[in-house]
Formats: sequence, C-alpha cells, structure tokens
Amino acid sequence: MKDNIFKDLYNKLLGFFRQAEESSKDVATSRLRVVLMQDRTNLTPQVMEKMRSELVKLLSKYLEMDNEALELNLEQDGNQMALMLSIPVIRAKSEDEIVEEDVEEEIEVEEDADETSDDDIDEEEVAEDIVVLTEEFPNKEVCGECRECELSDEIDCEKKKKVKSDKK
Amino acid sequence: MSGRVIVITSGKGGVGKTTTNANIGTALAKAGNKVVMIDTDLGLRNLDLLLGLENRIVYTIVDVVEERCKLKQALVKDKKNPNLCLLAAAQTRDKTAVTEEQLKDICEKLKKDFDFILVDCPAGIEQGFQNAVAGASEAIVVTTPEMSAVRDADRIIGLLEAREEIESYKLLLNRVRPNLIKSNDMMSVDDVVEILSAELIGIIPEDTGIITSTNKGEPIVNDEKSLAGKAYMNVARRIMGEDVEFLNLEEETSVAAKVKNFFKGLVRRK
Repeated sequence: MKDNIFKDLYNKLLGFFRQAEESSKDVATSRLRVVLMQDRTNLTPQVMEKMRSELVKLLSKYLEMDNEALELNLEQDGNQMALMLSIPVIRAKSEDEIVEEDVEEEIEVEEDADETSDDDIDEEEVAEDIVVLTEEFPNKEVCGECRECELSDEIDCEKKKKVKSDKK
Repeated sequence: MSGRVIVITSGKGGVGKTTTNANIGTALAKAGNKVVMIDTDLGLRNLDLLLGLENRIVYTIVDVVEERCKLKQALVKDKKNPNLCLLAAAQTRDKTAVTEEQLKDICEKLKKDFDFILVDCPAGIEQGFQNAVAGASEAIVVTTPEMSAVRDADRIIGLLEAREEIESYKLLLNRVRPNLIKSNDMMSVDDVVEILSAELIGIIPEDTGIITSTNKGEPIVNDEKSLAGKAYMNVARRIMGEDVEFLNLEEETSVAAKVKNFFKGLVRRK
C-alpha cells in the first residue's frame, strides 16, 4: 500500500516536470500513424500536393480563402481512414462573382476548343501544372510549342502546324 | 488427423520469430499435442540451436524436396518431448531451393500425422516469406513496441490479408518493457494494437532469461518460474482455444512482486 502511494507521488512529480515536452512514446505513435497512412494508401507527398493545389483551384471559385494555410491530411479514425481538409475561409463569394467566373471559364474553354482539336483542357491550368507533370514523368517529352501535346519537337502538333501556316 | 498449419512471421528481423516458434512449439507439445516445426529460413537456420538439436540433424528440408530421404527420416525428435519434431532448414542453400508448391505439399503430408505444424518464416517480404506462407492457413505476426517493427508488421499484415489461404492472423507483442511503458518511453500494448488494428494473441515481457535459455538450447517455457515462459505458455493455451487472461506485466514486474517471489522461493527451498 505504502509502496503505491510513494510511487504515485513520484509519477505525479515526474509528470509535472515532463509536461512541457511530449513523451517519446507520443512522438513515436504520431510519427508511425503518418508513415503507415502513406504506406497503406500509396499516396506520396507529391500526389498529396497535387491534390491540394487542384482543390485550391476548385474551391477558390466559390470561396475567398487563405490558399497558403489550406491543410490536407489523412487521419485515422479507428479502422477508417479520413481525408481531413481544413480551410481558413476569408469570405464566401457572391453569386454574381461565381457566375462571372463560370462565364470566363466557358470563354476559355471555347477558345481552347478552337485552338486544339481534341483536347479540352484549360490552357491556363496546364501551364501551371506543367512543372509537376514534367517532374513526375521525366521521360515524357513535351513539345516546345503548345506544351501540352506531349509530342517531341520533331513532330508537329496541331497548334504548331497552325502557327507555321500562319507564318507562310 | 488434420493438423493446423500456423506460420510465424514478422517482416523485420530480430524481433523474436524463432524464439517464439521454439517456445510455442514446446508449449503446445507439453500440453500433449503432436507438433512439428519447419524452419524455412534456408541458409540462415537457427531454430535447431534454440531447441538444442543442432547436433542431431542428418537430413534437411532440401533433402526431402530433392528426394534424398523420406519426409519422416528428416524429422528430428526433441530431446525431452517425443511429441515435438523439427524439420530443419539447409544451411548451405538459398531461398530458391524450395518452392511454394513443394512447401505446400510438405505441409499437407505433415497435417495427417500432427496436430500443429509451425512454420518459421525468414525475415523480409521476398520469396522466402511467400514460400513460408504458402502452406499455412493461420498466421502469428510477431512485433515489438518499436516503430520499425510495427511498420514492418503492418506491411506483413497487408500481405497476409491479400492471401486467400490465410484465414486468420493474430498479433504477438514481444519484448515488452513495462517500466518503459510506465514512464511513457515505450508504446503501450494498447497503442500498438490500435495502430495495427489486429487481434492480440500474446504479450511477452523482455526477459534476460531468454538469453540464458538460448545459450543452453532450452526454450524458456521449460522454466516455470520465468515470466516470459509463463506468457508463452498462455499463448499456446490461447492457440488451443482456451480463454486465458493476459498477464498484468506491470504488476508482475513491480518491486513488490519481486520481493514476494524472492520469499516464495526461500520458503520453497526449505
């Protein structure tokens, strides 16, 4: 009995002094959780970053927010895995603004449709993502002209042909 | 008779697979079961050492596969317990000497004569692991409360889940140090079980007796006073389907318990 009282006291004292720093066990469990999440899902940090940037693009149509502070994390809840997204919202955009952006987008899409024959990817989007893309697929050659058709410089893509014919 | 084939695996090396194998095997045999242990760690065999059988091995699993002897000839009987046998690994060959099919075949044949077939798996997730798992329908994943061992155990669990023939797997937490857990310097049993979300079949405390028992070539379950031996005995009973409570390691390793055991020992001597 006495033994227990002293032990409790000792542990409490120890706990008091230790409160400031996280115990090594807690560090281990939290590090393990993160690592296992990546192991289990095969979601590399690169993929997560790409997902994050695309989400920012999508959400900024509706919300004005702090893009830098957007956090995207995988968390474990019992047996289930959850994707946690935390966004500091500055303000929601008005309906007019959303409609405006829709119109802008449509125009862009139409312009794209004129320029490229079968690809309807937003040109702006591709230009921004190109760094990520080339990083991930270093072997893929991207044609210097339109930077989206993946053809090498020797072969002319639609856009290049057009430019050439304009010059003539 | 149709025996149960249980593979003992871990991913990471050095967490106590072979020790676990030797002790569970011995414990099951002590309880009256007919047990055979297969060492599939070709080229790095050690199970024979832990059982003290290294001088009795004539034929190995490779000799069986290459038909230089009959399966029964290659089984080495334990010194103490005639219910316990070992099929040793070859020390001079590598993991490619036995295929998945051949191991499956050996397990099928042994099932007829034994209650339990324990397969000692090599570390890693390569062919050696695939071979060892091939004939088994149950698995025991050995891990310790360390980050690297838990991570590797998680990987192994993923691989086991992907194999249809494995009907169930259980977790055995080895080398637990109650003092470190108490001071928050080691992950607790609950932490590891929660992270891996697997069913627990045993908690084995870190015990210096393991070293001396390995030195002597005698599994620690034969030492009834040892806490690790008791814990391994309980694992064997759980495998046999008994409902055995887990040892309260914190209590058992406390100073008060040690003093109590010391006096108990004195009384017994008189």
